[in-house]
Amino acid sequence: MKTKMILTGIIMVALFTLPVSQVKSQPSGKQVVERVYHSPSGDDMKSNLSMTLINARGEQRVRELRQFMKTTSEVEKKIMFFLSPPDVRNTSFMNFSYADGRDDDQWIYLPALQRVRRISSDSKSDYFMGSDFTYDDLGDRHPDEDRHTLTGEETLDGHACYIVESRPRDSNYMYSKTVTWVMKDRYLGLKREFYDQNGKLLKTLKVSEFEKINGFWTILETEMHNNQRNHRTIMRLSNIQYNTGISDNQFTERSMSRGL
Amino acid sequence: MKKTAQLQLLLLFFLFTGTASLYGQSHVQFNGFARNYLGVFTREGGRLSIVQNTFDMEISGRMESVSFTVNPYINHQFDRSLEPGLREAYLDLYFSNFDFRIGRQQVIYGKAEGVFITDVVSPKDMREFLLPDFNEIRMGITAAKLNYYRGASTFEAVWVPVFTPAREPDHQSPWSPEISFPYPVPVNMDFSEKMPETTLENSELFFRYSRLGRSMDIEMVAAHFLDENPSMHIQPHISSHGGMPDSLTATPKHHRLTMGGGSFSLPVSNVIVRGEAAFYNGKQFQTMNPNINSALIEKQYLHYMAGMDINIWDWNVSMQFIQEYILDHQDEMIQDKMENMATLMVRNTFLREKLDVELFAYAGINYEDALIRPSVGYQYADGFHILAGANIFLGDEGRFGQFNNNDMVYTKIKYSF
Repeated sequence: MKTKMILTGIIMVALFTLPVSQVKSQPSGKQVVERVYHSPSGDDMKSNLSMTLINARGEQRVRELRQFMKTTSEVEKKIMFFLSPPDVRNTSFMNFSYADGRDDDQWIYLPALQRVRRISSDSKSDYFMGSDFTYDDLGDRHPDEDRHTLTGEETLDGHACYIVESRPRDSNYMYSKTVTWVMKDRYLGLKREFYDQNGKLLKTLKVSEFEKINGFWTILETEMHNNQRNHRTIMRLSNIQYNTGISDNQFTERSMSRGL
Repeated sequence: MKKTAQLQLLLLFFLFTGTASLYGQSHVQFNGFARNYLGVFTREGGRLSIVQNTFDMEISGRMESVSFTVNPYINHQFDRSLEPGLREAYLDLYFSNFDFRIGRQQVIYGKAEGVFITDVVSPKDMREFLLPDFNEIRMGITAAKLNYYRGASTFEAVWVPVFTPAREPDHQSPWSPEISFPYPVPVNMDFSEKMPETTLENSELFFRYSRLGRSMDIEMVAAHFLDENPSMHIQPHISSHGGMPDSLTATPKHHRLTMGGGSFSLPVSNVIVRGEAAFYNGKQFQTMNPNINSALIEKQYLHYMAGMDINIWDWNVSMQFIQEYILDHQDEMIQDKMENMATLMVRNTFLREKLDVELFAYAGINYEDALIRPSVGYQYADGFHILAGANIFLGDEGRFGQFNNNDMVYTKIKYSF
């Protein structure tokens, strides 16, 4: 009798724990995206960024800038100083992105005009400096802005990945869906496909180099390929420093107009 | 004049000794551009309106708490002598909460585009009307500027010891504005009082508070300064027979103005709403009545703008409505009680920002005149930009209509380094 009770207990425990362990090994699409979104990335970061624009004929143009970021529980502040090409040198761009979901505040400083001008954050679908990245592609999209579905698993470049399909809640969003390959062990995106509003593949983003810097997984090089127009942008981060204690004074009108 | 020269020498000494000491210790940068600008009047059988070659170089260097900027330029035009100039030349000293800038500098206020409401610190070079780039229209002034920073707020004070007037076109220039005199008789110009003496009393003061805020940016300004445009004091000379004067003497003179104003910009949904307003005291307005002393009447006036920036189908669109309103207006005054103007700017880029298309238009509502400026630019290679455009004047009178015969097409080829 006692043995029967123990066996029944084991079976019951097995029956109830099996689905739980399966949930742990097979998270939902939303859980994967949230885990990526909340991956530790430091309180602040500074780096150099270069973008190489390559057209269908293979001709290259290079844009370089230096960027500073600072994140608190309420706001993510970012400021970028354009270094090249020469006709945009000393231009700066500042963005405040709020955790409460309200619209970003954005400003631009143009040295020819010598004044800081507020610009509309509505231009998120604009391409950044003629690259294949839109302003929205460069930001952290909040997981609640899309519905996420785990559609499968695949090994990509030797890394086991979850595949998550994300469809926007806003039907006017520039992409009809994105599909993201997320590394299981690091919760780092490795590849993303962007589909246009007609459902056709528009762009493919591939991460070609990543590294742990100061304890944070950091993407060093990505390539965005516009599949429809056959041009590419290679984006590379260098001189990356985390948690150096960037002051709030870095994200001010003074800083924008003074430059680096 | 002697005091001016001494003051300028002192500033130059300060600038160049600072520059020299910085040169060995910091990374000195050379930026600038070379540009060819070719314009043709379309209504005068292809007469060239401008053939200008410009070399503009900005030399700058920085250490931790000091920097310098020197921006010399040379303009060569086929119908003028070589024109070397110094757009800016200043030293910056940086402290924890404040910055100090001394030397020749441009100071720019306000949020209006293409019009000057509170933007009165740097005088304007109007020799080519409003057609050059705005950083070339605004002239550098010799000034000391102090900025104090507190959070997102900036407090600024500017002292301008040496008055710089606006540059006006020559009388033979196609951009020389129409000047109205009370009688169609010969006018003798008397320039003896045009430039005020360089004294402390004649120096200018400007104050500004600005804040980039969460959801709104604001700016407040106050100024006690000399009008960059002279008022014309007109004295009639009546002949011994009485009746109509047989000549007039016009004496241009710069008068003291006091101005207070402000501007804001805030996002409303996907639109940036902008506004700017200024109240001016002490302005001398021209009249057509020589019996009024100097044919001038002093009045207060308001100058304000409401505008918006919006993105429509990937086109950046900016619109502004501008009004000047003279308080206690009198019929003798040449300027209307209310002058209304609107501006429109439409811009987009194509081919990954290689091709830019722009239309900028001013519309004078009182005289139904306008200036329409379409242009197309192409980035042939990084730093190498080719621009083709037109300046089309509409109307017969008013600020733009008076230049109705000056329609032109132009190209600008520019290499930035």
